[in-house]
Parts: sequence; structure tokens; C-alpha cells
Amino acid sequence: MTDQISPLRMAASGMRAQTERLRHTSENIANADTPGYRRKLVAFEEAVRFGRTTGEVQAGRMQLDQSALPRIHDPAHPMADQDGYYDGSNVDLVIELADAREAGRSYEANLRMFEQTRQMNGSLLDLLRR
Amino acid sequence: MFEKIEMLRMARAMGQHTQARHIEVARNIANADTPGFRAHDLQPFAETYRQAEEGGTLRVSNARHLDAPQWSPGGARVIEVAGPVSPNGNSVSLEEEMVRAAEVKSSHDRSLTIYRSGLDLLRSSLGRR
Repeated sequence: MTDQISPLRMAASGMRAQTERLRHTSENIANADTPGYRRKLVAFEEAVRFGRTTGEVQAGRMQLDQSALPRIHDPAHPMADQDGYYDGSNVDLVIELADAREAGRSYEANLRMFEQTRQMNGSLLDLLRR
Repeated sequence: MFEKIEMLRMARAMGQHTQARHIEVARNIANADTPGFRAHDLQPFAETYRQAEEGGTLRVSNARHLDAPQWSPGGARVIEVAGPVSPNGNSVSLEEEMVRAAEVKSSHDRSLTIYRSGLDLLRSSLGRR
């Protein structure tokens, strides 16, 4: 069980990747009202070592959402141009919340897997303990 | 006596199969949100074990040549799970994987229990408790 491809390692890599995703999601939510803020995205990818996939997962490079920023009409805003518009952020709270939910769910599944691997290892060692 | 040893061997093969399957399930769950990842599973143990049995022994040119082992985890093929694919090309369903993880746990427990009772039988045949 403690060889190179270990289920414990895979579960841990999954939890690490989901945590990173959750971190970006919370950054997006915190900056939902920051003018000119573009939402951050991470895509997951399979980890490759020596040209082979190891079964682990990692978060890829962070990217900025390049969709258009909404123009918000507020002449009293300090950043408004002469027409009274300024650039808002392209964060959609509903999407971010759904993303956070999904990350939490996947994190929990990985945690279960971790627990189960440990239990199975323990019962295997019980054979020796008798 | 020899049936018991065959039983131990089968229990061990089942444990090895379970371990390999456990790795597949862990890989699927870790990659539950990776775009383009396809879920994988292992051929059922009963199928592959029977195949190894039916395959029989290797032909030998000399009686002292070693026989092939009955079953090895490499005998079980990794198969792609057919299922709905989400728009990003990922076919892992966490619910399915939970079911698979429960199956893995129960077959692991089963193989260990069989192994342990086999050891108990050997021990009591030696007159120990």
C-alpha cells in the first residue's frame, strides 16, 4: 500500500487542488464589488511525472476571465468617466457559490477516500498483531 | 490441507485485486473535476480469477521449470466506465465512486476475514488456540 502510487497521496492531492480552487473562489467573492476586477479561474490537470500520469491531480495556472466588464452608471462614483459610467467586476456571485459548493463536495469525497484507505491499512496490520 | 492453502491463495489474490481497484477509485475521485478525465474501473475479480483458472498451467519442456502463478493483479484489465460525460469531458460521477469505494471496503474486509479464518484453521490443526 505504501508504494509509489498510493491512494493516500491521490486523495491528498485532490484535497490540495480543491483547497486552491476554493481560495480563488473566495478571492472572487471578496472582490465582487471591486471596480475593474476580473474573476480568477483555475483548471485542474493530471499530474505528470517522468512522462507518465501519476493519478494525482493539480491545479493549473491561474487565468483571468476575459469576458467583458459590465458598465455601471453612477455619476457620483469617483472612478466614473465623463458619461457617468465605470467598469464593474465580472464576478457572478451565483456561479462562485455553485463553484464553492462543488469544491466542498469533492473535498469531502477525497477526505472519505483518505479515511477509508487508513482503515483498510489498519485492518491489514491487525492480521499481524494477533 | 491443500484446499486450505488454495483458499489462502485465493483470498490473497482477492486482496491484491481490491488494492488495485482501490487505487483506481482514488484516482477517479481525485480527478473528479479535471477536464477531459475519463473514469476507470477494474474488471471484476470473479471474471479474471476464473479466466486465470481456465487458462490453466503453462506447457513446460522440463518438469523442473517453474509454473506460472495462478493469478496476478496484472491479469485484471483496467476498463473505462461508460457513463454520462459532463460538458468539460469528465465522466466521473462522485456517487458512483462512493458505491465503488464501499464495494472495495467490503471486499477487502471479506478477503481479510477469509485469510484470518484460514490461519485460524491452520493454527487449530496444529493444536494451538
